[in-house]
Amino acid sequence: MSAIVATVTTTVVGGVVAAVTVVGLVNANTGTQGPSPANVNQPVVEYGTNG
Amino acid sequence: MRAWAVPAWSLLLAVLLLGPALAPGFVLAHDMVWVPDLALRADALGTGSGLPRAVPSDAVVAVLDEVVPGMLLQKLVLLASLVVGGIGAARLAPPGSLVGALAAVTLWQWNPLVAERLGLGHWPVLLGYAALPWLVGAARRWRTEGRMPMVLPLLVVVASLSASAGLATAAVLLVLATRRDPAQVARVAAVAVLANAPWLVAGLLHAGAALSDPAGAAVFALADEGSLPGPLAALGLGGAWNSQVLPGSRTGPAAWVSTGLVVLVVAAGWRGWWRRLGAREAGGLLVLWLLGWGTAVLTWAAPDAVGAVAAAVPGAGVVRDGARVLVLCAPLLVGAAAQGVTDVRARVAGSWPGPVPPPARVVLAGVLVVWPVTLMPDVAWGLGGTPGGGLRAVSYPASYEQAREAVAAAGPGDVLVLPLSSFRAPAWNGGRTVLDPVGRYLGRDHVASDELVVSGAVVAGEDPRARQARTALAGADPESRAAALAELGIGVVVRDRTAPGGDDAGAVEVAGRRLLAADDLVVTEVAGARERPAPRGWVVAMAVAWGGWLLLLTAPLLRAGRRLRAARHR
Repeated sequence: MSAIVATVTTTVVGGVVAAVTVVGLVNANTGTQGPSPANVNQPVVEYGTNG
Repeated sequence: MRAWAVPAWSLLLAVLLLGPALAPGFVLAHDMVWVPDLALRADALGTGSGLPRAVPSDAVVAVLDEVVPGMLLQKLVLLASLVVGGIGAARLAPPGSLVGALAAVTLWQWNPLVAERLGLGHWPVLLGYAALPWLVGAARRWRTEGRMPMVLPLLVVVASLSASAGLATAAVLLVLATRRDPAQVARVAAVAVLANAPWLVAGLLHAGAALSDPAGAAVFALADEGSLPGPLAALGLGGAWNSQVLPGSRTGPAAWVSTGLVVLVVAAGWRGWWRRLGAREAGGLLVLWLLGWGTAVLTWAAPDAVGAVAAAVPGAGVVRDGARVLVLCAPLLVGAAAQGVTDVRARVAGSWPGPVPPPARVVLAGVLVVWPVTLMPDVAWGLGGTPGGGLRAVSYPASYEQAREAVAAAGPGDVLVLPLSSFRAPAWNGGRTVLDPVGRYLGRDHVASDELVVSGAVVAGEDPRARQARTALAGADPESRAAALAELGIGVVVRDRTAPGGDDAGAVEVAGRRLLAADDLVVTEVAGARERPAPRGWVVAMAVAWGGWLLLLTAPLLRAGRRLRAARHR
């Protein structure tokens, strides 16, 4: 009985991890890009931003 | 199975991470500027006027792209810096544990440090990072067998293509390859010095300009990631200063979970890892970890003190980018984590009621190997989930080639790139921020701004010639500006019309012959400029430095040749 519970638990955890991974990877590939951080109308293009 | 599973997994992760960056074209991201044919010029050799920031990396690229096209070379470097490092990381795992090896590969390649350095374009740092696990093994062999492995000089040279990477590599060598034998310490120190000689000597020649603006220390310090404080982020190799390259997953709860899991899995493997490596090597890796984490946290906790040191000690500014030093933490972190994964898997199998069924075994192994990807999936496909736009391959406009030809046809003198600002966000690069690529593309020594602007704060540049050019441009009329620039040895002015402040209405005019007026680039020849050869002493010093560097690189070949000759005589 406990072997079945352990197998089911492992499969559920594995399934959740697999689903979250696949959804995350697909989102990274197909998600809309944020607006470009560089605004060419500003006097200088910044190297980056803090915070 | 391990023989092919590790390289295959490493390659899969690398392709998944780089994605569109592997398409035809150049990847231009922040400090990463590759061009079709980089010229081997004074700046690359360390005798230019500016601080030698790209010595020796530019010289190596300039030579190699004579054999391999620049575009292909960049792909190879990016791919190799991930795959070679990943395969090497598997050697940090317990022998015989495939799951441990695969977990080591994942953790080595799929972490905030790799993602953020890719986004910042710090490819020499990534190359040094890729060489690290191999260097750990080679240093061990040198220490224990008393004979320098043939591959070690190549590893050290490849891992020292920039100042910060070279310092990290030297630290690894000095900690792991030395023993209580002054001769061995001297040999190790000599290798470290020779590998770093080009930038070390060039830095000494520029010592007068090597003091950094103290403002840079606060700007480039180890940073918090969302609600995760910098010192905790650093435990999982995160904490880069630039929020443009920070994956969204690192600003939310996933970063806390990821850091917690890293700490747990390292704790789980700690005792087994220490026992397996022994006190000498594990202790050495602990020292490196403390050095990396401690330095990074110092930049976070006391940026003013770091800034004061960088402003007073020539070259000390190299440590102001706190998170970059975290490469030193990776061998311990990944080795202990791989041990932890192996031990956890064994414990689960031991406590399983009866034999573990194959599906459960596969699922458990999969979770232990894949979790770093699960918690940071948004760096996939060219850092798609970073606000800075990630990595994409693009083509240079045709005008860049026209400008290169125009500059080649111009009279003597260096190129001045206008407007005098360091970074660009050209539309043809998708608006992504990149260090102005114009100067490198043109194939001549160039003067450009090295001032950095971060969140509105200006970090002063160090190149005295850029400051002189700014003064020259403040002249009353185009003719006087041109005369002042010619005095500085500027023979060509190239202006980017598309950059902020570079349009015709806002540009500072310089008198001269117009060689090109494309939609984006304008090339003007300045009359009266003369070549400004580097001081003879500089040339001699750099020749000695490069000679030592080449000697180290060719040492294994020379040794192999001697052995071959000796074998023939026998």
